[in-house]
Formats: sequence, C-alpha cells, structure tokens
Amino acid sequence: MIANYLSLSVILFCFGLLGVISRRNVFTVFMSIELMLNAANLAFVALSRLHENMDGHVLALMVMAVAAAEAALALAVVILLHKHKGNLDTNVFSLLRG
Amino acid sequence: MEHTVSYLVLIPLLPLLGALLMGLMYLVSCKGKAFPEKIYGIIACIGPALTFILALKVYFGLKGLPEDSRYLVQDVFTWIKVGDLDISMGFFADPLSSLMLLFVTLIGTLIHVYSVGYMAKDENFGKFFAYLNLFLGSMLILVLGSSPVVMFVGWEGVGLCSYLLISYYSTETNNVIAGNKAFIVNRIGDLGFVLGMSLLFWAIGSGGFDYMSLRANAEQIGPGVGLAICLLLFVGATGKSAQIPLYVWLPDAMAGPTPVSALIHAATMVTAGVYMVARFSFIYAEVPAAGTVVAWIGILTALLAAIFGCFQRDIKKILAYSTVSQLGYMFAGVGVAAYSAGIFHVFTHAFFKALLFLGAGSVIYALHHEQDIWRMGGLKNKMPITYWTMLIGCLALAGCPPFSGFFSKDEILFMALASGHGGVWLVGVLVAAMTAFYTFRMFFVVFHGKPRDEHAYEHAHESPKVMTVPLIVLAVGACFAGYLNIPSIFGGHLGVSHWLAPSLTEHHPHVSVWLEVLAVATSIAAFGCGIFFAWKKFYVATAEEPFYTGLANFAYNKFMVDELYHYLLVVPYKLLGTAISKSIEPFVTDGPVKVVVWLYGALANAFKVVQVGYVRVYAIYMVIGLSVLSIFISRSLNL
Repeated sequence: MIANYLSLSVILFCFGLLGVISRRNVFTVFMSIELMLNAANLAFVALSRLHENMDGHVLALMVMAVAAAEAALALAVVILLHKHKGNLDTNVFSLLRG
Repeated sequence: MEHTVSYLVLIPLLPLLGALLMGLMYLVSCKGKAFPEKIYGIIACIGPALTFILALKVYFGLKGLPEDSRYLVQDVFTWIKVGDLDISMGFFADPLSSLMLLFVTLIGTLIHVYSVGYMAKDENFGKFFAYLNLFLGSMLILVLGSSPVVMFVGWEGVGLCSYLLISYYSTETNNVIAGNKAFIVNRIGDLGFVLGMSLLFWAIGSGGFDYMSLRANAEQIGPGVGLAICLLLFVGATGKSAQIPLYVWLPDAMAGPTPVSALIHAATMVTAGVYMVARFSFIYAEVPAAGTVVAWIGILTALLAAIFGCFQRDIKKILAYSTVSQLGYMFAGVGVAAYSAGIFHVFTHAFFKALLFLGAGSVIYALHHEQDIWRMGGLKNKMPITYWTMLIGCLALAGCPPFSGFFSKDEILFMALASGHGGVWLVGVLVAAMTAFYTFRMFFVVFHGKPRDEHAYEHAHESPKVMTVPLIVLAVGACFAGYLNIPSIFGGHLGVSHWLAPSLTEHHPHVSVWLEVLAVATSIAAFGCGIFFAWKKFYVATAEEPFYTGLANFAYNKFMVDELYHYLLVVPYKLLGTAISKSIEPFVTDGPVKVVVWLYGALANAFKVVQVGYVRVYAIYMVIGLSVLSIFISRSLNL
C-alpha cells in the first residue's frame, strides 16, 4: 500500500527533475521545482502514516510554508528577469559562461 | 647590588623620545598649521641637556666606587634568547663610556643650541631636530650598550641618521648621492663588524655575550681567530670612522647642514670606530699584529687626508679632511696599544673640531652660504667672536702648546715612538707639520688679507648670540681640555689615562725622559714649521687664488680615488648586475615561476569547457553528483 504512494512520489520527482533539466522557459522550470517539492511532501505524509506519528505532517506543512515564500520571491525574480532581457528563455541568462 | 642602577636607560631614551615627539609634531603639522620654531627648539635642546646632567651623575656614581670595580649596569629586558645565545637589552657604563658620554652629551647639547640659530627659518625645522635627536640617541645606545649586539643597534642608528641628515637638503641631486654614498660605504664596514661579532661569539660567546664576560673569557681566543676578529672589527671601524679604504664618504658628507657636519665629526659618528677598538682592547692587546695594521692604516690615512687638506678650497672640505686626518691619529694611537691616548684625542678633538665646524658655519651663515675660501678674506674685523674662537680652534687642531690638541696628539706620537713604531712616529710628525700648514692656510685666507668678494664682505655680520655662545663654550673646552691629561714631563699625572685604566687593557712602557723630550720637541718643531710656511705664503704675501697644475691639481682632485673606486668597483658591479638580470634572471629564477603560471592557465582552460553558463546544465551536474553520492553511500552502507 505504502509502496504505491512512494512510487507516485518518485515518479512526480523525476518529472520535476526532467522539467528543470530540459525546459528552457523560466516559468516551466519554476513549476517543475514546485512539482519536486510536492513529490517530497507526498513522501513525507506517506511515511508519517507508516510510522504512525506526526513528524512527517509537520515537515510537510513546513515545506508548504517555505514553498509559498519561495514562490513569492521567485515570481519577483522572474518579473525582474523579464524586465531586464525582455524574454524568459534561460539560455539568454548565461553570464557565467567560462 | 651597588652596580645596578635605574637611570642608565634614560640617557639614550630622552633624545629618542624627543625625536619621536618632534617627528609626530612635524608629521601632524605637514597637513595643517606648523608649530612655531620655539617649541621645537625647546624640545630639541631639553633632551640632550638632561642627558648631560645624567652623564655627570654616571661620572660621579662611578667615581664613588672602588677603582677596580668601577662599572654600572642596567638590564632592561631580555632581547634575544636562542639556545646558547642570551642577549639582554642592557646598558653598561664604565670609565671609558662615561668619558665618551660626557663629551658626546655636552657637545651634542651645544650643537643643538647652535642649530636653533643656524637653521632658523628653515621650512623643515621640526624634521631636522627630530633627526638630530635621533642621531644623538643612537650614539648614546652605541656608547652605553652592554654587549656588542646592543652596540650594533646604535651603530646602525648613527649610520641611518647620517644618511638622513647628509641628504637633508634633498632637492639637490648631489646631496642625495652623498647621503647614499655615506650609507652604502658604511654598509660595507657594517658587514665587517657583523662578521667580526659573529666570529667573536663563535669563539667565546657561550660564556655570556656582554663585555664583562667577554673580557673575562678573552684568553680562550686562539691567535689566528683573534687576528681575524680584530681585522674584521677594524673593517667596521674604517667604515664608520672614515679610514682607508672607506674614507671617501666623509668629505662628501659636507653636503649636509653645517651643524650636522659638526655633530658627525665631533660627537656622534666618526668617533664610534675608535671607541669600538678601545672597547675591544682586551682582544687587540692579545694580537699585536692587528694593532700594527691598525696603526699603519691610521697614520697613512692621516697622511693622505692631510695632503688633500692642503689643496681644498671649500672651507668645510678642508675641515672634513682634517677630521679624517685626526681620526688617522686616533687609530695610530689605539693601534700602538695606547688606547687611552687615542680616546683622549677623541675627547679633545671633539671640542676643537666642533668649534671649528660651528665657527665655519658662522662664517658661512654670515656670507650667505658661501663656502669657497677664495671668496672670503678680511673677516677678522667683521666677526670678532668668530675670529678669536676659530683662532683657538685652529691652534688646538694644529697642536700648538698649550692648547688641548697638543697634549693629546703629542701623547699619541710619543706612545708610537715608545712602543717601537718608529715609522708611524715619523709619518705622524710629518702629518703634524702639514696639519699646522693647512689649518692656518684656511685661517689666514678666511680672516686676514683683503676681502676678495666686496659684495659679500659688505653684508657680512657677526652671528646671533645663540650661535656665538656655544662657540665660546667650546673655545674654553678647546683651550683647557688638554689639562685633564698632562704627561709627567710637564708635571702632570695623566689623569684621563688613569681614569680610563680599569676599562682598557694597556701597558705603559717605561722609557727614558730624553725620549719623551725628543718627542715633544719634534712635535713643537713640526707645528712651528707648518705654521711658518702658512704664515709666509698666505699672510705676509697677500695670497691670490692659486691655479693648480700637475701634481697639485691631482691632489685637489683627491688623487682621483673616487673615480678609481667608481671604475674599479661600481662600474663592474653594475655590469655584473646587468649581466645577471639579462642572462640568469629570465631563465633560472623567473623560469619556474612562469611554468607554474602557465600550468594553472592550462588547467583553467581545460576546465572552462564545463562552465557553460546555462542553469539547467548546472542542474544536470547536480543530479549527476547527487546520484554518484547516493550510489557511494548505499554501497558503503551495504544496502
């Protein structure tokens, strides 16, 4: 039973990772990151259930709070990036090229 | 502990504090309102004056002790402690250093007072007095140091200050070159001193490295090592005290302000070498061969400098060569193991040479910085105080009885004869005659005859009191300093020699009275000859500016020694430097450095490929890294 939940969590995480690696739009990358966070949340809650205590719930709530804060910041950054270069292609932002 | 006192450290410390204070004041006033000269003058003179009082206290403190244990010590802190080497920053006063202290502080103080007048309205007034105090403080460390290492601190200090003060008027290139020359030539001597000191430590240093322990262990030194130590230390002395072959810096040192010349020549610097040889008399006394070398170098320097002195036309250069010449006498004295006679000549010389330099400064000041004697003349009536005090100084320098120079010089010549150094004595008598000649050549040309430069003569005037009072005090010293050490032939009992006896290792040879009479008679005759020729040539016949040809011109150009050194040492050294910088440096020393630089560059280029700048590529790297880490951890945990 628990294995299904954990499998779903892993699949979601891998989708997120794939999105971060392969997509070039900043928004998509950002949404992929959120997906990975929620995959982690799912794993927490599932494991909390397995162990029959509240630790996982607490951590999941915490992750949600951090994700909310991060979303606020990240959206601001996205707006600034758009103002700066006029588009949101991550390939445009490559100032650290060696 | 009746020998341990607490005021010795104050003697060098007071002038050094003055130097620090005035230096800070000068630095502060550079960016704002300058302090008035009066404040600097008071601070500058108060330190030396207090040290003179302390020097008197040291003298009376020593006098109160029994004769065979006359010394005072003060250890301030442990300075170096490595294995056998245990050197404390300590000060040590015995009769020898107390005599040095007395005249160094007295003459130093007088020169400070005089400088307040001489340097008036100079824009760097504060800096000058800061240097002057530092100079005096360094010399006092040199005199009072309890071990050769502490002495070396002062030794380097006076070298530094001479450099700073000689190139004091630093807007002129020649002055800066003269300062550099003094510093570099001194450096050569310092190397000898350091080597000698190291050898001394190697030979007997393990039993303690202060003078008293060294003296107690002196007989452990082998004759060969002793000779090497003596000669190396003497190389140091030739640098500091301007002897052959390192005398060349002293005449050039005239580039500095005149009070500085007086300080260098009379009190603070050039006497250091003689003092050092006397201080190490316990080693020199064991090695007569070293003493002979010292005596001959000294007397030949005296001869050479006297020849140069007869042909110079710059009043300060004449005095500079006379100093070199008198230093030669002093080394002849310490060389023939008559250490007290040498030190006594240092003592009397300090008075009359300071007097002569300050008198010359007064003349230069009156004539608005004219130094050529052939543009002076007839100043007798214009500057009476300077005239009479200079006359006393010249008589003392020339060795006229009963002025101070006569007794000290005669003592050296007599000791040379008595100890069997007939050659040294003969040259010494010749130099005595030449000394009288060139001294009075200068004197007659400057003060007698008709004025050669009417315009300068019209404006000449006697110097202010702040300058003439030190002259008068010094003139009194130049008159009577000799009476402190009257030999038995004149009914005296050699007071200074007896005072110095506990510090020195010397034996007074017993010789017949007739030898002493002979020595005195020849000295007086030499003086008489010298002054007679000068009188005939420059006083009776009104002297005109000479035109030197042939040998005289060669002597006026100082036998081309400077040029010789330039082409023999400086030019090859520069060539060597250029050759090394062109051949060895690019390959041998720069090579490895360049290879390392290239290597890092290549590595960086290789790794540049992975720095693509795209965020998602970095994410891939992270994933790869985390994956590798996870695999590694799960492997090592055997999951």
